[in-house]
Amino acid sequence: MSKSRNLILRMSDKLQFVVDLWFSQASCRTKQRQTKVCRTSFIIATILVHCAWIYSNDGSVIAQKRRKAQTQRPVPARIDYSRFSHSTKQHQEACSTCHKAPTSNWKKARAFPDVADYPAHDACVRCHRSQFFKGAQPPICTNCHTKVSPRDEARFAFRNPARPRQFKIEFPHDKHQDVIAFLQRRPLQIARNQFARVSFLAHAVQARADYNNCTICHSTDMRAPVAPREGWADRFVPNTDSFKTAPGAHSACFNCHWKSQQPTKDNCAGCHKLAAPFVPDPTPKRISMKFQHEGGGDKKIHVAECTTCHINITKAASLRGLKPDVPITGCTECHNKSGLREDLGTELAALDKNRDFVCSYCHTSDVGRRDPPAGHYLVAERIPLKRKDVK
Amino acid sequence: MIIRRKRTVCLMLLLCLAGMAVGQTPNPPAGATGVIRLRVRVGIGDGTKAKGLSRKRFFMIKGSLEDNKDLLQSLEQRAVVSRDCFYRSIGASEELIAWLKESDCESVYCREVDQKEVATVPEFQHAVAAGEKEYGDRELARKWLSVNLSANIRSGFYKRQQQEIQSFVAQAEQQSHAKVASVMTDRNGTGFFTDIEPGVYVISNILATEVGTATELWRCEVKVAPGDLATATREKPYLISDPDNKDPKDKKNIKCVSVERPLPACPRVP
Repeated sequence: MSKSRNLILRMSDKLQFVVDLWFSQASCRTKQRQTKVCRTSFIIATILVHCAWIYSNDGSVIAQKRRKAQTQRPVPARIDYSRFSHSTKQHQEACSTCHKAPTSNWKKARAFPDVADYPAHDACVRCHRSQFFKGAQPPICTNCHTKVSPRDEARFAFRNPARPRQFKIEFPHDKHQDVIAFLQRRPLQIARNQFARVSFLAHAVQARADYNNCTICHSTDMRAPVAPREGWADRFVPNTDSFKTAPGAHSACFNCHWKSQQPTKDNCAGCHKLAAPFVPDPTPKRISMKFQHEGGGDKKIHVAECTTCHINITKAASLRGLKPDVPITGCTECHNKSGLREDLGTELAALDKNRDFVCSYCHTSDVGRRDPPAGHYLVAERIPLKRKDVK
Repeated sequence: MIIRRKRTVCLMLLLCLAGMAVGQTPNPPAGATGVIRLRVRVGIGDGTKAKGLSRKRFFMIKGSLEDNKDLLQSLEQRAVVSRDCFYRSIGASEELIAWLKESDCESVYCREVDQKEVATVPEFQHAVAAGEKEYGDRELARKWLSVNLSANIRSGFYKRQQQEIQSFVAQAEQQSHAKVASVMTDRNGTGFFTDIEPGVYVISNILATEVGTATELWRCEVKVAPGDLATATREKPYLISDPDNKDPKDKKNIKCVSVERPLPACPRVP
């Protein structure tokens, strides 16, 4: 390429000479009329100028053709092999093609059989041999390995918590609520003139703590809640026991779904649904931020059965669009009782007098500044008002 | 003449007032849905005290009792297969049947099986032995006991019930062109049907529920009005009960009573 460029440059030098010659000939044309030499040199000069223009215009004719072809063909995007994605078409074979359940390291990594490690090398090498041996530190290795070195086998924890998630989880609360249901015993059905077998068990049965219920998956979260990026509203930091945990590992599922009961360990898609990569927000969301599950005074009387307040959970067939759904009645059974406490009524009365009043018994100011919903007024037996209508 | 005129004026005034009153009545917004707070209580002991029927699923079918007459009749005619009968029919051990009965469980998923219970129930023993062989850990095998139980023992009763429920729900939805809503009662026997289009519905448990030595089947007609009733604590719940409930607290509020039948007997095969 550089050789042909030098050639063109030399040619253009010669061309300059010919052009100069032509001008000198042209001047002789006026003086001595047109001669044969004059005419020949003019033709040569014209051809050479044309050629030089084509060649010297930032490349060659071939390059121009190539450029034209390039604009017609789609340019393949540069693949970042350090970012493995399940959404790549070639990565959507059966899960067992790459993942083994359980992995050989489960005894070291977990207390139960689990998929606790990345797939073996052959899962990647069969298609990515060239990427595996590219350069001293192939980027593809960084998907699993903490250090890219043939002598270092160390891998990230599986699943790598630093990477965005690629799957959303499907979980039908309704089915799970159904199977942990129990029958209702009618204790001590005594017919007249009959002796009854007396036992305390009948009543005790319902109080037994080991019945499977929501606490199998949702226990009290004793970790400090993660603050939102912009900081806690009103600098109100919820107590550590304010929220419940959500299952984040197979331990909550495999005790029943390891095998036989679908979706089993081999049917990953039964629970894992491919989604656009996302990073879950670790900050808990709640409208009544000041509510504490373990609260309710010294007696901790907030500890009711979950479905008493979360009224829609037993009919939820999916996690999509799942809302906590706690109606205000869940609170006002105690917090709006005349003679006991009138927390709701007191705040609504204050709002009636001052449109800038911020409800703060349950809410932080980001919520407390809004118009209370109509249901709040209904429960407190007050006429619904909008802040803008308060004089 | 004057009296007549006065009467006409009074009548006109009354009509105007009536018109104004109607105009003042707050109308729920268009598309507003209603909520039913269902409470299920059954008599305990001699019936003078009642208790909430906990953890039972109830369904809400669009249409009146008359509209769903044929469907509901088919429910009543359906033979009840009790838990004991089902487990006996699949050859479950008497020890397993007793374990389920003792804890009032419909399936083995109801609660965790402790080490003592593993020793007494043959199905549990086999499952734990298989698990121990597989994972090399007896404690893990106990916790994961259900994965080594046969399909029928594990979820046969649930699947059978679900099949019947799903087939009924499909028929009801086809007939009413509306989705059948469902909810499970909490430990006090309360459940909320939310986002319900205003209209007439039938609340039913579809499959007769075992309560003690009887089965209870509810088919209760209820009218859902627009407006968010769930937020109204002063609104009384829709209380349904069994014929045995003679609790004076409930007496006046019971809206619907179940059809009670004795549990079919499936004696132990010697």
